[in-house]
This record gives sequence, C-alpha cells and structure tokens, in this order.
Amino acid sequence: MTTTTTLTNPLREGLRLTRTPEPACLVIFGASGDLTARKLMPALYNLELQHLLPASFALIGSARRQMTSETFRAELHDAVAEFSRTRPINEEVWATFARSIDYVPTPDDRSYEELRALITRRDTEIGAGGNRLFYLATPPVAYQSIIRAIGAHGLRGQTGWSRVVVEKPYGHDLQSAMELTSVVQEVFREDEVFRIDHYLGKETVQNILVLRFANSIFEPIWTRQYVDHVQITAAESIGIEERAGYYDSVGAMRDIVQNHLLQLLALVGMEPPVAFDDRSVRDEKVKILRALRRISPEEVGVLTVRGQYGPGFIGGEQVHAYRDEHGVANDSQTETFVALKCFIDNWRWEGTPFYVRTGKRLPKRSTEIAIRFRVAPHRIFTREASEGLEPNELVIRIQPDEGISLTFGAKVPVQGLRIRSVNMDFGYGESFMVDAPDSYETLILDALRGDATLFTRRDEVEQQWAFVDPILAGWHEGNQELAIYPAGSWGPKQADDLITRDGRSWRRP
Amino acid sequence: MIDVDETFWGARAASVDAIERELSRLRRAAAAHAREHGLALGRTSVLNLVVYAEREAHARRAARTVSDLALRHPCRAIVVLADRDREGVVASVQLHCHVPPAEGAKPVLYEQILARVRGDFDERIASVVIPLLVPDLPVFLWWTGTPPSQARHLDDLVILADRLIVDSADFARPDRTLPDVAHLARHRVGITDLNWGRLTHWRELIAQFYDVPTWRPFLDGITGIRTGFAVDMDGRDIHPSQALLLLGWLASRLGWRKVEALAPSEAGGALFRMARADGAPVMVRLRPRFERGLETGDVSGVRLQAAAGGGTAEFVIKRAPDERHATATAIIDGVVRAERVVPLPPLGMRELLGEELAISGSDHVYENALVALMALA
Repeated sequence: MTTTTTLTNPLREGLRLTRTPEPACLVIFGASGDLTARKLMPALYNLELQHLLPASFALIGSARRQMTSETFRAELHDAVAEFSRTRPINEEVWATFARSIDYVPTPDDRSYEELRALITRRDTEIGAGGNRLFYLATPPVAYQSIIRAIGAHGLRGQTGWSRVVVEKPYGHDLQSAMELTSVVQEVFREDEVFRIDHYLGKETVQNILVLRFANSIFEPIWTRQYVDHVQITAAESIGIEERAGYYDSVGAMRDIVQNHLLQLLALVGMEPPVAFDDRSVRDEKVKILRALRRISPEEVGVLTVRGQYGPGFIGGEQVHAYRDEHGVANDSQTETFVALKCFIDNWRWEGTPFYVRTGKRLPKRSTEIAIRFRVAPHRIFTREASEGLEPNELVIRIQPDEGISLTFGAKVPVQGLRIRSVNMDFGYGESFMVDAPDSYETLILDALRGDATLFTRRDEVEQQWAFVDPILAGWHEGNQELAIYPAGSWGPKQADDLITRDGRSWRRP
Repeated sequence: MIDVDETFWGARAASVDAIERELSRLRRAAAAHAREHGLALGRTSVLNLVVYAEREAHARRAARTVSDLALRHPCRAIVVLADRDREGVVASVQLHCHVPPAEGAKPVLYEQILARVRGDFDERIASVVIPLLVPDLPVFLWWTGTPPSQARHLDDLVILADRLIVDSADFARPDRTLPDVAHLARHRVGITDLNWGRLTHWRELIAQFYDVPTWRPFLDGITGIRTGFAVDMDGRDIHPSQALLLLGWLASRLGWRKVEALAPSEAGGALFRMARADGAPVMVRLRPRFERGLETGDVSGVRLQAAAGGGTAEFVIKRAPDERHATATAIIDGVVRAERVVPLPPLGMRELLGEELAISGSDHVYENALVALMALA
C-alpha cells in the first residue's frame, strides 16, 4: 500500500474536519483539452475554495501544444470563470492558487525530461515527499505512450506514493482493455490505478449503497421473492452535440451501457459488502458482473434492441435525424438506443429480469432505477375497489432531481372502499438543501486520498467488456436489425415489445 | 393580553390541545392553497427544535432563522418565551408554508409554535413542551442567551433534548459560563456552541499546516501562540470566548497544561504560561484588536511559533486581503514556504444553526476543549 507518514495529526480528529489529502503534485496530461477546462479545473478550484486541497500543492499541466505557464494559467482562469459551479470566480483565491500551477509541453519523448525536472523541483519546494497523481485526460489513443513515458523517464517519485487516473473509455473491447492494463502495469501496480466512471462520483449513486445497507427494512425484500423485476433507465434528450466523430465509432453500448449502466446494475444487485472500503465493495460488484448471464450472439434478436433516432421533436423544437448530424455518415449503423433484458444467475436474483435501456433524443433527461415489487399474494379487496392500484415500486432517481420515491396503495377518503396508488417522495435536494458536490470533485479528492472505492477495478472492466462483446458481435453478424425511432419518443417499438412480451411495461420516467 | 404580535406569531390558541387542532386546520388550508396553484405540499419534519428565550428580540431572531432553514431542516419549532414578571401561560400558534422560488422544488410545510410562559414557571415549563413534541423525531434545544448555573427549568428541558445548542458569543462571562455548560453533559446530551461553528474554518486551516509531513514535527514543538479577537472601537465590549475555545481545542488535542496566568497583557487580553506534554513552556497571548467589519469576539488572526529538529517555524493565518478571506502562510527558518488565500465566508445565524442541526451526535472534540478551558478558569 501507500507509505503513510510516521506521525498522525491530532488536530484532525473530530467530525467537523474532513481529511484533506497529503501534499502532492498533480500532473495532468491533456491539459490543453476540453475535459481539463470543463471538468478538472473547475473541480480543483472548487476544492480549493472549500479548503479541501492540501496546504501545499502543485499542479503541472502538460500537452503537445507549445505554450508558457502564463498562457496556461490565463486559459485556466477563463475556463474556471466559465464552467465553475460557483460564480463569479474569486480572484483573490485564484491569484494564490494560480501560483501553484505550471505547464510543460510534451510534443515528443525528449521533452519528458523537462517535465521530470519540473516535477522534481516543485516536489522539493512544496515538501510533497514524492507524492504524485498522474491524470490521463487525453484521448485514449495517447494513453499507452504517456504511461510508457512516465515509466521510461522516471516521473514516479523515489519516495511517497504515485497513482494514475485513467479516463473512460477504458479500451473498446475486452482484448484492448486487457492490453491497456498490461501496459499500465508495466509502470503502476493495480492498487495505484484509478479508472474513472464519473457516475460513481454522483451522490445518489453512492446513496444506493446507503439506502440498501444503512437501513434494515429494504434488504430483506431485495430478493427474487419480493421483487418482480428491475428497470434501469438512462435517458438523454440531447443528441450527440459536437461528439460525432467519437460517438459514431462507439455507440450507446460502449458509451453508456458498458460502464455506467452495468455499474448501476451491479450496485443494485450486489450482495452486502463486509465493509465500505475499496476491496470489499469492488469484490461484490465483480461477483454480480460475473453472475450476469451472457447474451450470446444468437440471442441478441430476442434479448436486445438497438435503435437510432430519426427526425422528430424535442421540447417543441424540430431536430435532425442521427444520420443528418454533422460528421455522421448517412448510412451509419451506430446505435443511439439500447434496451436489454438481463438476468443475474445467483441465489438472490434467479429468474428476476433486469430491463436496461439508454438512448439519446428521448423526450427528457432522466436516469433512474425502479424496483418493481410483486403484487400482494392474495387479493382481499374487490376488483372495482382496487382498480387504481399499482404494485409497489421503489424508484431511485439519479439525475436530475435526485431522490427516492415509494408508491403504495391507500384508501381514497370517501364512503365505501376505493384504493389508489400514492407516492411517498424523498427529494435529495429538498431534504438537505445543499449543492451536491460535482462528481469530479469527489473523485479527484478520493484519488488524492488514495481511496479507490468509487473507481473501477481491472476485473470489473474486464467483466463489463466480457458481457458487452458478444452482444456487439451478434449485432455485427446482423442478428438484430437497427430500428429507427422518432426523436422525442421513448425509443423504437421493439423496445416496448421486449418488455410487454413478459406482461410488463416500461415506466414513464 | 395584546402584547403578543399576532401578525408575526399567528393566532392564539386556548390550550395545548387547541394548538394541535389549530395546526391541523392550518395544514389543511395550506394544502388547499398549494393545490390551487397546482403544487403538492409536503410535510416533512425531520426534527423538533425547542428554542428558549427570555427576550422577545431573541425569540424573533430565532424564529426567523428557523423559517429561513425550513427547506433544509423542516421541523416543528417550539419557541418558549419566558417572562418572570407576569402570571399565567399564554400560547399562540403560527403555521408557515414556505414556497421556494427555485424551479422544480416542492413547497415544504413547517410548523412554528410560540409558547409564552410567565411568572414562576420553573416547574411548569416542561409540561408545556412535552405534549407539543412530534414523536420519534430528535429534539434539539437552542438556548439563547446565557444558560443559568443551576436551574430547574434548564435541567428539565435539557433532559428532553438530544442536543443542546448554545452560543457562547452571547455569554456575559464566557470564562465562567463555558465550564457550566460543560457540566450539562452529565444529562447525556450532545452539546454544541454556535461559536464553535465559527471556528471550524480556522481549525481546518491550522490543522492543514500539520498535514504536510515535513512540517508535522513543529506541532509538537510549539513555543508560542498569539490569537487576536475583535473588539469594538472603544475596546469595552470584550468577548474572548472564540479565542478561548480555540486555545482550549489546541490544549486538549496536544495535552497542554496550565502553569500560570500572568497579569492581563492589555485591556481585556490575557497572557498564560502553559506546559506542553513534554513539559516545555508555551506562551499564550490573547489580544483584543479593533477590526473593521468583524463581529465582536471574532478571531482576527492566529500566529503559532514552533521549534523542532534544529529548525524554527511560524504558521500565520490572518484575515487578508480583507475580512472575507484568510491568508495562510508557512514560514520555515525565516523563509516563506507556502502562502495561499482562501475564502472565509461570513457565517450568519442561518449557516451556523443549519450546520448544528445537521449533526446529531455529540461533538467530543468540543467537549474536550471545554474541559481544557475549565482548567484555565
């Protein structure tokens, strides 16, 4: 594990002071890119505002582009001013924070020597003791060469800890993910690798674990005996924006299902971990992913739906078909919608279907998990009385409007008996009235502290690809037609068929 | 009986039972009103908050703070306004429906009850409060003003409570009252102090210096500490409780003992000699300073001097470049090694109380700081 300081800090005790990370150098590769400007820098600046960064800290940016540290700082200033969740930018705080920022261009292998010299110098100045966090915010094609350069030029410190954060996508299939891991492991041990899935940094996603394992009333009914089925939906109303080049080569399966939706499925389905730490939580997630029944290329016609949006209307506005988007081929076969019917082959979930869907250009943005319970075993009320009654449902809303709601039957207050479903609603924002931290703030802080609980482990990524690969292969073999759905609808008709065949229906989120 | 401002506190009810009837009538009216506007009304109490006040100004300030916090901590607030000069108990009720302007948010209902108790109320006060508490929810007691040293009504209310909230900034003689507050912990109540909440940022910034491994040894080698606290322009209004709590915190965390109190250094200030855990002396100076823009008693700056391993260090936190920011500087062997500016947002009643209501257990670090202060008194 990481080296710890010999002396603890007794002033840290107590519930009001959160643990700030040890002093460290953060090295961002791809520092001139979009992710750095939109996500990483605003997150770092907000951490500084909340006094959550260490008292001595250095940030070193690097990318191919030639520019001076001054230019880099000026660009970051403007990025923070535009994208930070707190505005306007606090110039006093920025002025001293900017002093901890430097830039070194790395257009070729030789220039990494300059990067190493700068890291070493800054490390000594701030007393970081060799602690380094490398953040790969570049396009994935550059990952391997950067990691090899970190190793070849000795960018890791002689003392202290070194860690690397790898952005998604982590590979494009099982084979490439394993190849990437083998390159990463030339330089870093597995416990030093932090694979980001920013969904896991969201408060409500963490709240799934709290809801399930900090309460005693849900877990006993969280099984096949009581749960009829589970629905996981990640709907977006936007199209592909400026990501056409990337998205068209990837599609919804690799972009959303392989990582985010399978993670949600794992969190909902997993067994209770023995502790809330990186090893226990991830061990349980891997077990679920392993138990997730593989869908063979021959079965994709029955258990999967793939769709692509045609022209339509979103919020009253007319929008283009996917194939008419700028940068997309007019015969593109890329899916923008996926629906799956999955099973988890274990004791708890045997025979309970998990319906999963995601799509672009759906009527609204909504990510949620719905646990649909079985109907009461014996009906004592007349059919007329219970006409308005739906089975109990527990819905965990991830975004927007994070919260949890439970429907149950209640008597309508009239003479005689009429039963209706009512909703008990817990709004996360309304109950705590605080801005939830951005997921990148949570994840960067965790990586600096060395807590990998919310990051994806090697075996998780591999299991995710192992599930997704045969489906993609089946599609490639032409076993499931690409269905066109109008933008602004809830996906193609085939997606409805997938679930109505079983006598069930999709929720309207 | 027209001295209750009914526009602020709401209509009067004849008895404790009548209050519940009145509340349910108001809830129905609010729900109907919300429905006309197409909104669903949520009644989501998460706690009982009992406010004890002896001055109407304090009661009103508390009521306003609670109403501001209704969205973050929807609760039933029972404001007890005690007046020893008159006889009889008068209670009046008011129900508020707070409709936030934020898009997509839901209106939340919270309930506020004013109970005026008069005359010789010491034995009666709990009997008014108990039937008004919502079952199964934690009870927070917010005692405004200085808690009395030994009093039946204080003990009776503290026994009902899971948490006691005081504000030592209001204490007339904090050096005497803080130890009294510490004694209340015998009732198994979690005690906190809004003034302690004002120190959280300061404690955080001090603690951060010693997270740096190479600076950590200086924590065991502190030789002197100077803390400035704000006073008014004439230097008459002296409230050193924040500065004392900060000292109590360091002393309890680091195992310092008092050796002697030296003569007051300057008007309202204090000078102590303390001993570290290893016996070496620490000179402690609390200095009143006039600072524009600060509330009386606010900490204005901290300077810690230390020697360890043949080196010296000075850690300084001061309000600069203005009172809404802190500049934290680490000077090692006379050279500035780190300096940064962080926001030090002013904390109003709302932020402070909101923070306390979010914590439900005891704050042992605070209680230990109080115990350390008792040794200084």
